[in-house]
Amino acid sequence: MLNFLKQVGDYARESVQAAKYIGQGLSVTFDHMSRRPITVQYPYEKLILSERYRGRIHFEFDKCIACEVCVRVCPINLPVVDWEFDKGTKKKELKHYSIDFGVCIFCGNCVEYCPTNCLSMTEEYELAAYDRHELNYDSVAMGRLPYKVTQDPMVTPLRELAYLPKGVMDPHDLPAGSRRAGKLPQEILAETQPRNGDTDQN
Amino acid sequence: MSQGIDLQDSFIQLLVQLGLPTGLAKALWLPLPMTLMLISATVSIFVTVWLERKISAAAQQRIGPEYAGPLGTLQAAADGVKLLFKEDIVPAQADSILFTLGPAIVVIPVFFSLLIVPFGQHMVITDLGIGIFLWIAMSSVTPIGLLMSGYSSNNKYSLLGGLRAAAQSISYEIPLALSVLAIVMMSNSLSTIDIVQQQSGYGILGWNIWRQPVGFLIFWIAALAECERLPFDLPEAEEELVAGYQTEYTGMKFGLFYVGSYVNLVLSALIFAILYLGGWESPISVDWLASILGISDTVPWLQVVTASLGIMMTVLKAYLLVFLAVLLRWTVPRVRIDQLLDLGWKFLLPIALVNLLLTAGLKIAFPFAFGG
Repeated sequence: MLNFLKQVGDYARESVQAAKYIGQGLSVTFDHMSRRPITVQYPYEKLILSERYRGRIHFEFDKCIACEVCVRVCPINLPVVDWEFDKGTKKKELKHYSIDFGVCIFCGNCVEYCPTNCLSMTEEYELAAYDRHELNYDSVAMGRLPYKVTQDPMVTPLRELAYLPKGVMDPHDLPAGSRRAGKLPQEILAETQPRNGDTDQN
Repeated sequence: MSQGIDLQDSFIQLLVQLGLPTGLAKALWLPLPMTLMLISATVSIFVTVWLERKISAAAQQRIGPEYAGPLGTLQAAADGVKLLFKEDIVPAQADSILFTLGPAIVVIPVFFSLLIVPFGQHMVITDLGIGIFLWIAMSSVTPIGLLMSGYSSNNKYSLLGGLRAAAQSISYEIPLALSVLAIVMMSNSLSTIDIVQQQSGYGILGWNIWRQPVGFLIFWIAALAECERLPFDLPEAEEELVAGYQTEYTGMKFGLFYVGSYVNLVLSALIFAILYLGGWESPISVDWLASILGISDTVPWLQVVTASLGIMMTVLKAYLLVFLAVLLRWTVPRVRIDQLLDLGWKFLLPIALVNLLLTAGLKIAFPFAFGG
């Protein structure tokens, strides 16, 4: 009898606990309703991308020495480097250069290893096309720079979370000139630069 | 207790005064409330879909429908039009008669049950003697339609979904009926009008929610399960069953399931408001206020105010419950089928029985408070 009563008591306690947890869950959901949407209204609002963003690759034709390092470091040997050896100047002459961005995984190895810095990563991520062959960019297409979000009159640029002032969670309607938390990269550089200069003098 | 506005009587009297026979006048009256109810039920779908999408969005810190009409209010209409224009496909191996009949059988009983929903003393299509029992009977017809459409689709997911819907409806109908029975016992009548009458007079204090706190919870859980809303949406659990019994449906047949489920949600909320939240009664009794201010309850403008306040109160309470259902949807995870049946048979059923016994005992012990 006692055992049975204990069972009933345990069961009742568990039920009450379950109800309590559902109540807690409801209060969480209810609380979320009063918060501002965190979504970015995409075609009208866009995020300002981080300076380390790895978007579509930019290529400068004139800087390239056709060394094919980019091909060797690429996980799938993607860049196509078409060159011819010019016997007169004893130099390789670049004819065509192309990367298929339908296949590229944007790992950035080519950019990292390029000896003449002719490859770089842009912040372009809108690569939608009607035909996958359109994504095979040649040197001309890769030489174009994307339009900056901050300069587009159609777009409200929004800062990413890490670029907001301290304690601010909402990128909308920031006061003009508000700074992100912490030091900027160039400030850190400026602080370390004189010390480097000192060591050089010594 | 005031009699309130009786539109039917006034309408018939007016026609009789114009020289029509009484029978014809009554026949002329009949289609009016029905059409009105059908229209308002259809409008309630749009409202509920909009609310559901907006509240869901808010709970997930999104914006939700925004560009179709002001604040996205026309989104449901846009979706409906899209469904209307879609090709109506009947799978080659399906039983085409049952496949077509299924959605209709799901929707019709739901609309039929609106017969007994009162919005005021005389604002009900028909005050049936069996009242609330009609709703319980009608809601058990729905799983037949679901099972029919699931079985006739000739698809394993549809069949599983249909079977789940049937199992779920059958197991949750019993606690639902038992909790309604406790209310019926207190008000000595099955009629929805009488059930609200019995709660009236004391404002918010007189509502059944105070006398039936356990029944109220059981009813809400069972009603959610009957509407197949989360956390009890197993019949259409998309992660397991594609879309359950809706898998093979397209176009307006598919849309009918949604029409049925949203009207069912509003209907359940309305019935809930009537059974436990005092129906058309305001939290502060209007009669009581009128008697304090010394206004006779036969004054026409007071009657109009009372009637419109009653409709507003009923709808407001129902939509509060819809809001709660949407909030629950984003709070509670879906239960497993065995947990669902456990909850129905091993938890709700015994508790509903105890609640019924307790109500009977309290009714004998305190006849003044529990409707002796």
